[in-house]
Amino acid sequence: MQIDKSCRYTSTHEWVRVEGDEVVVGISDFAQNQLSDITYVELPSVGDTLSAQDEVAVVESVKAASDIYAPIGGTVTEINDRLADEPEIINSDPYEEGWLFRMKPIDESDVEDLLDASQYESQLPSE
Amino acid sequence: MSTWCIHFSKPLSYAQGVSLQERLVSARTSGAIPDTVLFLEHEPVVTLGRRGRDNFLNVTPEYLKEEGIELHQSSRGGDVTYHAPGQIVMYPIMKLGTQEADAHGYLWNLEEIAIRTAGDFGVSAVRREGMNGAWAEHGKIAAIGFHLKRWITMHGMSFNVNIDLAGFANIVPCGLVGEPVASLESILGDDGPSLEEVRDAMSRHFSEICQREPQIFATRGELPATLADLTGECLAYL
Repeated sequence: MQIDKSCRYTSTHEWVRVEGDEVVVGISDFAQNQLSDITYVELPSVGDTLSAQDEVAVVESVKAASDIYAPIGGTVTEINDRLADEPEIINSDPYEEGWLFRMKPIDESDVEDLLDASQYESQLPSE
Repeated sequence: MSTWCIHFSKPLSYAQGVSLQERLVSARTSGAIPDTVLFLEHEPVVTLGRRGRDNFLNVTPEYLKEEGIELHQSSRGGDVTYHAPGQIVMYPIMKLGTQEADAHGYLWNLEEIAIRTAGDFGVSAVRREGMNGAWAEHGKIAAIGFHLKRWITMHGMSFNVNIDLAGFANIVPCGLVGEPVASLESILGDDGPSLEEVRDAMSRHFSEICQREPQIFATRGELPATLADLTGECLAYL
C-alpha cells in the first residue's frame, strides 16, 4: 500500500496535493486497489464550482461505480483528459499520471484541515 | 452484528426502489441505521448502467413503453439489464471496510450467494473470469451491479426464479452478445421452487457468507420506527 507523503487525504480516500495556488485531486492507492480494474471515469467540467463533500466524479471498475467527493471547496480548472481513453492509469499510477482534476480552492487553508499521510494511514482497515 | 432485512411481497417500481435505497444510504452514512438488506421484485423495467450505453437495446424506447416496460438510467455499474416479477432482487445497503474489506470481497460474496442459492435447488452455477454474475450451464442466472457512496453499497444482485425470460429479448444483457439468460424455471421446469423459497435460501446464504445476523421484517408492524419512516410509501408493498 503506497501513501504519498506529499499529499493530504480525506476519509473517503481522495488525495489532495498543493501545486502553486491550485490543488490536484486524485484517489489513493488504497482506493484504486479496492475498486480494482477501473474501466470508466466521469469527471466534472472545467469551471464547475464545488463545495467540500460535493459529489464531483464517478470512478467505475468491474461492476462497482464509486462516487468521488470534492475534498475542499473551489473551482475546477483542469481535468485529466487522458482518463477518457486510459482510465487504467488510475490503477497503475494513482498519485501522478492518474490524477483526476485540478481546482482553485476558495480558501487554500482548507487543505490544512484534511488528514495528513500518517493520520490517513492510521484510519485504513488493518489487514 | 445485527443486520436489518426487509422482505417485500409486492413488486415495486424501479423509481421506488432507487428512492428507498437512497434514503437508506443516507441513514446508513449518518449511522442512524445498521446495514440493511432489501429483498424485492420490480415491475418490468430495463435499466441502463452508469455509462448508459443504449446500443445494447434491441428495441426502441417507444416499443418498450407500448409493452408496459419502463426504461431507466441507473447509477449502478455495468451495462443494461432487465427486471420483472419472478426475479428476486437483493439490495444490500452495507458499509464496506469492516467485515467486507473491499469491493472485490463484496462482489465475490454476492456471486457466492447466487451460486449457493442455485445449488440448493440442484442447479450448478459458476463464476466466469472477467464477467460478474453467476452462470448456469444454460445461461446467466444472476446479474450483479452495484454503486458505492462513501463506501456504502447500493443496488446489488438480481436472480432469475420464474421471470418471463422473453423480456430479456429486448436487450443484450450486460452488453454480452450471444450469451443466453436462464432462470430456475427454465432449467427445472414446473418442478422449480417458488419465489419465496428462493428468497429464503438467498437470505440464509447472505447471512452465512456475509456473517450477519439478519432481523427479518416481512410485515409493516415488525419494522422499527426509524426503518418504517424511511420505508415511507414502500410500506404498502410489504
